[in-house]
Amino acid sequence: MLGIEYLVDALTPTHLLIALLGVVAGTVIGALPGLTATMAVAVLVPFTFSMPTASGLIMMGAIYTGAIYGGAYSAILLNTPGTPSAIATTFDGYPMAKRGDGDLAITIACIASVVGGLVGAAFLLGLSPPLAKVALAFGPVEYFWLAIFGLTLIASLSEANLVKGLAGGCLGLLLSCVGVAEVSADIRLTFGSQTLLGGIEVVGALIGLFCVPVLIDLVGTPERHLKVTGESRGFRLPEALAIAWRGKFNLLRSSLIGTFVGILPGAGGSIASLVSYSEARRASKRTERFGKGEPDGVQASESANNATVGGGFIPTLVLGIPGTPPDAVILGALLVQGVRTGPNLFTEHAAVVYTFIYGLFLATVLMLPMGLLIGRYAYRTIVTVPKAMLVPAVAFMTIIGTYAIRNSIADVVMMILLGVVGWVLNRFDFSPSPIVLGLILGSIAERGFVQAWVLGTATDNVAGMFFGRPISLLIIFFIALSLFYPLLARRWRLKQEAMRVE
Amino acid sequence: MRNPNSLAGGLLAAAVAAFAFGGPAVAFPDKPISYIIPFGPGGESDVTARHQQPFFKKMFGQDLVISYKPGGGGAVGWAQLNSLKGDGYTMMGVNLPHTVVQPLQKDVGYKTDDLVPIIYFHYTPDAIVVKADSPFKTLEDLVDFGKKSPGKLTFSGSAKASANHIAQIRFDKMAGIKSTYVAAKGTGESNQFLLGGQVLASWGYTSVGAQLGAQARMLAVAMDKRHPGFPNVPTFKELGYDLISGAYRGIAVPKTTPEPLRKQMSEMFIKVNKDPEFRKRLENDGMAVIDVDYAGMPAFIAEQKKVLTAVAKEAGIVK
Amino acid sequence: MSNRSGVRDLGGMAVAAALIVLGGFVFHDTTTYVDVDSKVFPRTVALVMIVCCTIVIVRDLLRPAAAGEAPAPASVPRRLGLVAAMLGSVLVMPWVGILVSGLGAFAALMALAMFDPWTRFRLVVYPLVAVAMVVAFYVLFGQVLQVPLPVGSLFE
Repeated sequence: MLGIEYLVDALTPTHLLIALLGVVAGTVIGALPGLTATMAVAVLVPFTFSMPTASGLIMMGAIYTGAIYGGAYSAILLNTPGTPSAIATTFDGYPMAKRGDGDLAITIACIASVVGGLVGAAFLLGLSPPLAKVALAFGPVEYFWLAIFGLTLIASLSEANLVKGLAGGCLGLLLSCVGVAEVSADIRLTFGSQTLLGGIEVVGALIGLFCVPVLIDLVGTPERHLKVTGESRGFRLPEALAIAWRGKFNLLRSSLIGTFVGILPGAGGSIASLVSYSEARRASKRTERFGKGEPDGVQASESANNATVGGGFIPTLVLGIPGTPPDAVILGALLVQGVRTGPNLFTEHAAVVYTFIYGLFLATVLMLPMGLLIGRYAYRTIVTVPKAMLVPAVAFMTIIGTYAIRNSIADVVMMILLGVVGWVLNRFDFSPSPIVLGLILGSIAERGFVQAWVLGTATDNVAGMFFGRPISLLIIFFIALSLFYPLLARRWRLKQEAMRVE
Repeated sequence: MRNPNSLAGGLLAAAVAAFAFGGPAVAFPDKPISYIIPFGPGGESDVTARHQQPFFKKMFGQDLVISYKPGGGGAVGWAQLNSLKGDGYTMMGVNLPHTVVQPLQKDVGYKTDDLVPIIYFHYTPDAIVVKADSPFKTLEDLVDFGKKSPGKLTFSGSAKASANHIAQIRFDKMAGIKSTYVAAKGTGESNQFLLGGQVLASWGYTSVGAQLGAQARMLAVAMDKRHPGFPNVPTFKELGYDLISGAYRGIAVPKTTPEPLRKQMSEMFIKVNKDPEFRKRLENDGMAVIDVDYAGMPAFIAEQKKVLTAVAKEAGIVK
Repeated sequence: MSNRSGVRDLGGMAVAAALIVLGGFVFHDTTTYVDVDSKVFPRTVALVMIVCCTIVIVRDLLRPAAAGEAPAPASVPRRLGLVAAMLGSVLVMPWVGILVSGLGAFAALMALAMFDPWTRFRLVVYPLVAVAMVVAFYVLFGQVLQVPLPVGSLFE
């Protein structure tokens, strides 16, 4: 049952070592802006050929897990998502760091990542085949509405200035259209430039819009980067655990959301963390504090994105369809090794699969002590390093990191230019988050729309296509909820206060 | 204390001797070769390159270092190929029909003749794939449905103006039906829609048939003879449709690479290609191995250009 | 909500105006597309953006909102210097390679971000650390992760 006999195989000293090294390497790589989990896994693939399949898988899974967690470091300390899946972590992580709670934020992120990773792995272990079927039920329309749901986050994120937020989101959507259109092979918005043919690279744009403005501001004033309150208080573990316990429903809900979104091929950690952040914010009693340094926000984002690791393996292993970009690389590696994915994988290659899944559990658990240790050093370094060292180091890191994604100098230039644009926009209250949201979700939204439109006209049922399918209706309900709930809640709250005053 | 001058003189003499008697320059390759894939990781081009890695290392002692340069369906990579160093240590994956069709459609930064392929080592023949439990049991079932309900026969495929799309357009004309093509982001998404029942069938490759295993069936393959891995699947030719097509994959080098190096690299990869274990692995994955080397390249490319240009015009994707 | 009349969000309006112009460019570009499918999305989005930006401008003309807090005084030359240094180092990279351009950028940025006096200790230690960091990243990316970093055409 549940291949429990393979648990012993997973817990060998070799596997322990592999998982440990993998998690540490992954965390470091994920923390460096520009280096993504996909890249880390891709580099490792040749090494895995000389290992037994299960061990190679454990190493790749460990690196993947570590990288998704590691993205939180730069998100919290530098306002730069180390990987796209850490975008939502910046919303509350960076404000926490600015007011001196950076170490707390990192510890919270670690705990949340471990919880999320375990939940995702648990679903992978027990419920893969039925969940894979759920993934298949998502067609183009559902992806479209899911992308729209992601975009409604713009509304909730920009409560201060909705119209500017919408404009920013539209800018992001337009940026996602640059290059060869997926839906039609037309070249769009390149204005004749050869370099823009490949489109605007998301990670480079992320770094540009989030990190470069921080650098520009750092260089402008002599103040310290992050406030340091007194001497270092260690891990602040008891505090973090208390917060985690208080937010246990949030943690669980976010992990579930993360697992579920991870199951959907093409929707990765970034969407999972955004959706769970939005939900956490909506359901919280402290809604106004989100965006200003509310720990629950960090918890929501980090547990969701690590849950996508386990969740993403479900379609990868059961259907042979990669759930997230690193899964595509791992799938390729499996194919080369002759491991055929599919529903029979759990029976034919039971040894490999179950050993790997237990190895994933192992790596996630190991992340707790390792993550705390590394996090502490990361925090101490960033906080104590003088600006004259910090600014050039981060700048150089972002340059080389962005270059490494597609071996393209054009991407780096784009990053810097978008950084300037982002700084200017931010200065005048056009926040960068909606822009990034638009950039990431644009292609999903457009593709879903066009595909659904084509299918709808082919079956002469366009309206039914967009509004008639059960899952779509559920998503539309959530969209409406997300848009109108804050208004209704506020009105209800004001009414309560008015009655109390009388 | 020995005379330092004589020591230096001895070293000098030794160096000259090594130079003079060392023979020709150090054997190629003497360091790892950079293998750039103009697509993202995890795709067919990546997987076949990964297949080549261990065999190349075994035969020639050096690593193939794979890196990615995605964008524009490969165009970004191909447009930059000739600006790279032509010293034999840089090469790039190259594909058909992309490299013929793309420059015809619009200005993508390169022309077909700018590229220098040194080998085309396999192709994935087009195939119609249906879910295992689909009501279409034979190709005729599918065609009948298409004739009865024009437009309702939905196919998923990878991207527009790709091998999948071109095959769909050509077959529609041959069979006299009008089907609807839903362009998915890649093979992964195309498979997802197929398995999820969002579309009725899929224009994919034989490698898709291999990948999906028991979850799907192929109704026909666009080959001359049946694929050795799928002896039960008829060819389009057998069923009366003259359709032999697919996506070809090979390796190209920058234009500045000297002739002898081009020939040498071509021979090296042909050697990898001829390895029976390598062939078996590729065939297991549903690919069809071909051996077009540097010498045979001009004729091969000329033929492909002729066929693909005609096909693309016929399909209405170029003017 | 107090309104300080006469305080306008000029910056915001300028940005909105720029985005409207951009939307116009997008519309113009869509007329060159071959396939019908490619036009819908960009046009709809550009339209929404133009509408939103118009609302921003009109709303601010009619009812200037309370001015936000003034940004902390900051050194404009240093900021421009940062952008110039980063951009410059990237643009020369194809010629001088990443090590040289990286070291150059590092030095420039270090000078720009330095607010404390240059003690003798710092004059020695900082450059050493800078070189160490640049080399460390070079090794990490170039050797460990096998990224083909630009070597620079001058050195080939």
